[in-house]
Amino acid sequence: MSQQDPSTINGGSAVAMVGKDCVAIASDLRLGQQSMGVSNDFEKIFHYGHVFLGLTGLGTDVLTVSENFRMKTNLYKMAEQREIEPESFANLVSTSLYEKRFGPWFVGPIVAGLNSISSKPFVCGFDYIGCIDYAKDFIVAGTASEQLFGMCESLYEPNLEPDDLFETISQALLNAVDRDALSGWGAVVYVITKDKVVKRYLKTRQD
Amino acid sequence: MEVVLGIRAKDGVILATSKAFTRGISVLKATDDKTRILNDYNILGFTGEGGDTTQFADYIQANIQLSTMREGTELNSKAIASYVRYELAKSLRTRKPFQVNVMLAGLDKREEPFLSLIDYLGTRVDLPYAAHGYAAFYTMSLLDRHYTPDISVEDGLKLLDMCEKELVKRFPMEFKGLLVKVVDKKGIRVVKGNE
Amino acid sequence: MSRRYDSRTTIFSPEGRLYQVEYALEAINHAGTAIGVLAKDGVVLAAERKVTSKLLEQDTSAEKMYLLNDNTLCAVAGMTADAGILINYMRNSAQGYLKVYNQDIPIETLVRRVCDVKQGYTQHGGLRPFGVSFIFAGYDDRYGFQLYTSNPSGNYSGWKAASIGANNSSAQTLLKQDYKDDISFDEAKKLALKVLSKTTDSSKLASDKVEFATVLLKDKAPVLKIWKPAEIDKLLEESGVLEESKDDDN
Repeated sequence: MSQQDPSTINGGSAVAMVGKDCVAIASDLRLGQQSMGVSNDFEKIFHYGHVFLGLTGLGTDVLTVSENFRMKTNLYKMAEQREIEPESFANLVSTSLYEKRFGPWFVGPIVAGLNSISSKPFVCGFDYIGCIDYAKDFIVAGTASEQLFGMCESLYEPNLEPDDLFETISQALLNAVDRDALSGWGAVVYVITKDKVVKRYLKTRQD
Repeated sequence: MEVVLGIRAKDGVILATSKAFTRGISVLKATDDKTRILNDYNILGFTGEGGDTTQFADYIQANIQLSTMREGTELNSKAIASYVRYELAKSLRTRKPFQVNVMLAGLDKREEPFLSLIDYLGTRVDLPYAAHGYAAFYTMSLLDRHYTPDISVEDGLKLLDMCEKELVKRFPMEFKGLLVKVVDKKGIRVVKGNE
Repeated sequence: MSRRYDSRTTIFSPEGRLYQVEYALEAINHAGTAIGVLAKDGVVLAAERKVTSKLLEQDTSAEKMYLLNDNTLCAVAGMTADAGILINYMRNSAQGYLKVYNQDIPIETLVRRVCDVKQGYTQHGGLRPFGVSFIFAGYDDRYGFQLYTSNPSGNYSGWKAASIGANNSSAQTLLKQDYKDDISFDEAKKLALKVLSKTTDSSKLASDKVEFATVLLKDKAPVLKIWKPAEIDKLLEESGVLEESKDDDN
């Protein structure tokens, strides 16, 4: 990776998992300038109604893209008189990213949520120009994505209850970011069930 | 190699900028002020490409003042930080982006001390203490060790002195000392460096 | 004769009037009434929906009340189609402000922005003015609960209680009579309905003819609500406005 690769300047990782009638999404809290850590409270999980979006990649684009989706989902909410569903939001993310095909946002987005009507869990990820990667188990993104793939492949099992899903996603993220110099410095985990969302901060190694 | 340093204390914010104005290998001025006053309770410190810096800071200053006149009310620090970030992020994807890194120090809603670090890409983080460029490598360790969230402006200035001493000792370039400004309930004042 | 000065929007008549703007204002005076009442702890909007046919689908959503963003809503009197353009503009404008400043647009700023658009159509030729008046209700940090009206000329003003549309002068008189400076939110709801029932042609108010919207504060954040037909019927029942108007008839 070159020193000026936009997707590795600031660092950061995110992961989402499907459980039994629940989903979880988590990210680290680090924002750096190359090897130097700058902030330990840079959250990369955003939500629009009941849909959750994890955004890794270039810090400035994480902020810009999250603000753009806030604008688009607010306008959607007023036009449709309902909140956007995860499936529709995934397509919105895809088309919004591809719109910038020849001058892209340098982000690695992941989406997680429960459909408000069918309660069906939904997770997916994207490349930075909007190709959707649907998954029925888990999705990873960011500078520790390779480590996250390894952790998820070994720890994940289908149909986990919310508490077990929390444990699994937390261990996957924690142990992945510990093997990545550009991720870590704290973490945040959301466990989303039909009638409640639980947000927890994790203590992690500070190196 | 310019220095911009900020410390957020419980009762105010400190913003320090190096006084050397440099072109190539020459120091052209030893009393440079790399800050702009945006309104009664907010100042903007900046570093980067000569020309871009003052052009951008003046543009921000003018727009903040224009907004105050139009709306009949001052923007708070968080709104100013968002606006500055928006301008830099917008500029980033133009043919010739502003190469300016900024630091906003102020009292948010004239109450809450506020410090925001924004680089030329538009990456914004609100922090208790911050530095731009190489100065960060020499000062962050000191700030990590000695900063507490309940630090007073008085003690913050002592901590800043430690940072300046370290920079004088280890920084490879002459930066002609720091111009230090404080924003607190009384407004904006220069506490050191304009003698 | 009058044709000489009213065929273009931008031309003053010898008496110094802009006929097209006055015609637009007149058009609104035939539209369903909308009333706004500002209370210490909230804002109330009420409007009359003119039912044109019993074949018209009734259970469709509100057509005179619109959310503009998280802290502002408005009631419309006049040409609904024209209003749609302006509402779209305001929604985009509010989201644009939110994107730049990461906080909600102040109510007055939003009102001024839409009024600048309206004013433009009284000055630049070739197009007619927007045939729409608005009542805006909202909450922001600067002035708390607020109530504004705007008309096709592009003027706007802030009110404690205001009305637009048909019979707005008699509604305004009734509001002036009954408004108290320390009016509570619940009293404001009742006042708005009472004035609306007295100024509308229909003998009995019901949810098919009334639209209702409120702004409240919950946990320091504004809560906007456009009421559902069933809720309006319940409110009409509880407020006792129906009985009062019956007494008046006798």
